[in-house]
Amino acid sequence: MSRSGRIAIVLGMLAVVVFLVVFTAMSFVGSEPPTVNLTAGHVPGRPVHLVLQTDGAVGVGPHPTWVGYQAKDPATGAWVQTGLWQVPAHTKLDVTIYQFDSGSALRNQNWGRVTGVSATLNTAPFGLIDSNKVPVGHTFSIPALGISVPLKGVNTSLKNFCTAGPCNPATQAHNTITFSITTPGPGSYHWQCFIPCGLGFLYGNGGPMQTEGFMGGFLEVMA
Amino acid sequence: MTVEIAPPTSGVGEVRPPTRGPASRRPAWFGQHVGTALVGMVAGYALGHWIGNVIASGYAHVQGSGENDVAIVLGMVLGVLGWLAGIGALNYPLAKLVGRDSVPRETTGWTRYFRYNLTHKVVGMQYLIMVLVFLFTGGLLAMAIRTELLSPTSHIYGPGTYISIVSEHGTVMMMMASSMVLGPLGNYLVPLMIGSRRMAFPRVEAFSFWCFTAGYFVILSALPLGGFPTGWTGYAPLQTEATAGMDSYLVGFLVVGTGMVLAGFNIVVTIIHYRAPGMTWGRMPIFVWSILVTGVLLATATPTLAVACLFGILDRTAQTAFYVNEHGGSSYLWENLFWFFGHPEVYIMALPGFGIVGEMLPVFTRKPLFAYKVGAAGMVGVGLLSYFVWQHHLFQSGINPDMRPLYMLTTELISIPTGFIFLVGLGTLYKAKMRFEVPMLFCLALYFNFLIGGITGVFLSDVPVDVTVHGGFFVLSHFHYTIMGGLVFAFFGAVYYWTPKITGKTLNQRLGKIHFWMMFVFFNLTFFPLFLVGLFDQPRRVFEYAKNLQTLNDVASVSAFLLGSSFLVFVANFVWSLWIDPKRAPANPWGSNGLEWQTASPPAWYNFERIPVVLADPYHYSEPTEVPVADLAPTNFADAAAAANGGGA
Repeated sequence: MSRSGRIAIVLGMLAVVVFLVVFTAMSFVGSEPPTVNLTAGHVPGRPVHLVLQTDGAVGVGPHPTWVGYQAKDPATGAWVQTGLWQVPAHTKLDVTIYQFDSGSALRNQNWGRVTGVSATLNTAPFGLIDSNKVPVGHTFSIPALGISVPLKGVNTSLKNFCTAGPCNPATQAHNTITFSITTPGPGSYHWQCFIPCGLGFLYGNGGPMQTEGFMGGFLEVMA
Repeated sequence: MTVEIAPPTSGVGEVRPPTRGPASRRPAWFGQHVGTALVGMVAGYALGHWIGNVIASGYAHVQGSGENDVAIVLGMVLGVLGWLAGIGALNYPLAKLVGRDSVPRETTGWTRYFRYNLTHKVVGMQYLIMVLVFLFTGGLLAMAIRTELLSPTSHIYGPGTYISIVSEHGTVMMMMASSMVLGPLGNYLVPLMIGSRRMAFPRVEAFSFWCFTAGYFVILSALPLGGFPTGWTGYAPLQTEATAGMDSYLVGFLVVGTGMVLAGFNIVVTIIHYRAPGMTWGRMPIFVWSILVTGVLLATATPTLAVACLFGILDRTAQTAFYVNEHGGSSYLWENLFWFFGHPEVYIMALPGFGIVGEMLPVFTRKPLFAYKVGAAGMVGVGLLSYFVWQHHLFQSGINPDMRPLYMLTTELISIPTGFIFLVGLGTLYKAKMRFEVPMLFCLALYFNFLIGGITGVFLSDVPVDVTVHGGFFVLSHFHYTIMGGLVFAFFGAVYYWTPKITGKTLNQRLGKIHFWMMFVFFNLTFFPLFLVGLFDQPRRVFEYAKNLQTLNDVASVSAFLLGSSFLVFVANFVWSLWIDPKRAPANPWGSNGLEWQTASPPAWYNFERIPVVLADPYHYSEPTEVPVADLAPTNFADAAAAANGGGA
């Protein structure tokens, strides 16, 4: 084989390798959950509204049986299964969480305490849930901001209990939790659920508890 | 000592002349090769996954988690078996099971590198290419890590993806480094260096390589399965509650570990039983000593890892509780089993590098190897002591505090035989007139890098320092200085040194020097700043860090990209010099006395026309009277062998 033929073969193989590497890298970057953007069209001084739901089974994506959060995209009104929410800095953020999942007694009663905000449960103010009397499903916590809010579980025996997300607040059983915060300066602030709710995993801390977009994610505060 | 003394034409034992072209009427593509192995792997995976679903899809934890680890593990195991069956590794044992004999069909030509081949030189070359594939895969993952760490706050991936990349990088590199020298150079060179025509167990040798290759696919499967969050150490209980990517880690290490045990066992038996007459322990090349100790460590330490992985697999599939504290097991058991393998593993990676430089320094200084016996004893000492230090990895992980001083002491003790080996090199360099050829540059770089890695290792063996810097970038830099700065530099030196022997062609020396200087400068610019980053408390495996550490991290990242590009120079040199524009190498370009250089380059399939009778060690350089290393054509074999051994028949 001539030298130019060998060079052509090497370049061809190099192109294949580069393609595979780029394809793999793009797949990895693309595998990150989407971001729900609340900064588009935001008028400074006006609050933004983050609407979330927690489902016992998200019902979509590669792990439809996993527990997880979904966020309402203000641009389309659709529910998006993600944990990445982009919000403006130094702005009042009104958060509404529709809790569709069930709950149980807590291993650590401290998770039943509202911390860092004033919250309402089905429009009534609350500061503590005694999980020995009322089941708790999840918490919404941002440790860096000192915020933690328990989410009261839904009775699974209700006829309109939602078994797979995205669930419909208009027709299916849920609890509504609301609270407000003022967003800090720009940065990524990790949020997570502290209650080990990864069913089927040892200690409940595997699967959705370890994976971005289910029981954890980032509040991305933009300048 | 068992020696084949007959000339090669008699076809004694397993050494047969390879046949060119098909021996049967079947077309070549219909035989067993990598293509059929891939088909076997896919079919095996599908079958195993289906069986796993039949068995376990109704299990409560499977329904709860939505993940069927039984199906995934069975898929991987049958996939590996399919791979081995497809390549032909199971032909012989299966034929024996039904009372038939299986005649290996050895072929010549480039296609033999894609088949199950029993020739040690072919297996060595197969290992070389596969080690480079592992290395470049791990290297690309390293580039991904450093890209993410360019900024403390702006992220390309989330923390889950980041830790998956870090874990994959560490595991791929550790798998690669375990076989980096013993696989390609040990299999290729040891028979030539000890005057043998073959390895002791050619089928075991080939089997170990194809296990290694299968392990590559298994560990790579972790990425599409979502990765694993444990780093390369796989600690429980994180391991037990991780998602499906963890199965790839456990099965992958089990498969690669099986190959490592077999490779180590085979090379030890070969060195003990297949040395030529006159190749006494005191005349054995220092590289062979290093491979002997490495082989012993592989054969005796790796089974612990394999068993530990098996326990982990059972915990995740059969719901046993080896590592589950609440059910009577102990997550601490994994840590102990893992590091009982893991610390000898460090020397599995370090010793061959010293064997390589010990072999090359006398050639490029034209001096005998200083204190050869001390060097060999140092290697044996390191091998022995490596079994008594593993608990220093657990200083911060629940060890009884009263036991810390003991393991601190044993860890400090191991620096003594390591120091012997280091001083053997420095003694050889003392007052030497060096030839700064490319392989020699890599040798010198090893001593520079390992000095930094070794001294920081002594610091880390002390409990107070270890407790302070544990889990940070200081430790990370330390082991990169020892493993990459030691083993990987020695490996590339060896590739430049022995390529003329293996291929009969020479690598371009100018490109080699560019490769070396880029690699040396940017290796140090990558990892030295990370010592400082570690002292400033940046933890490993975390994708965010303090803003005041960005400059040091950026220096490390940019240097890492340039370090990565130095490997592209090597690849370009390798491909250009060996395939596109090959230049014939002189028979013995470096003027070595080594026995491997006394035969043709590349060696004939039988290595030596007659089994040589070794007369001296290969380090008699610059002596007043020339000392021949071997009698390559002994006329009276028995008399020559007796004379070589210094006694009567």
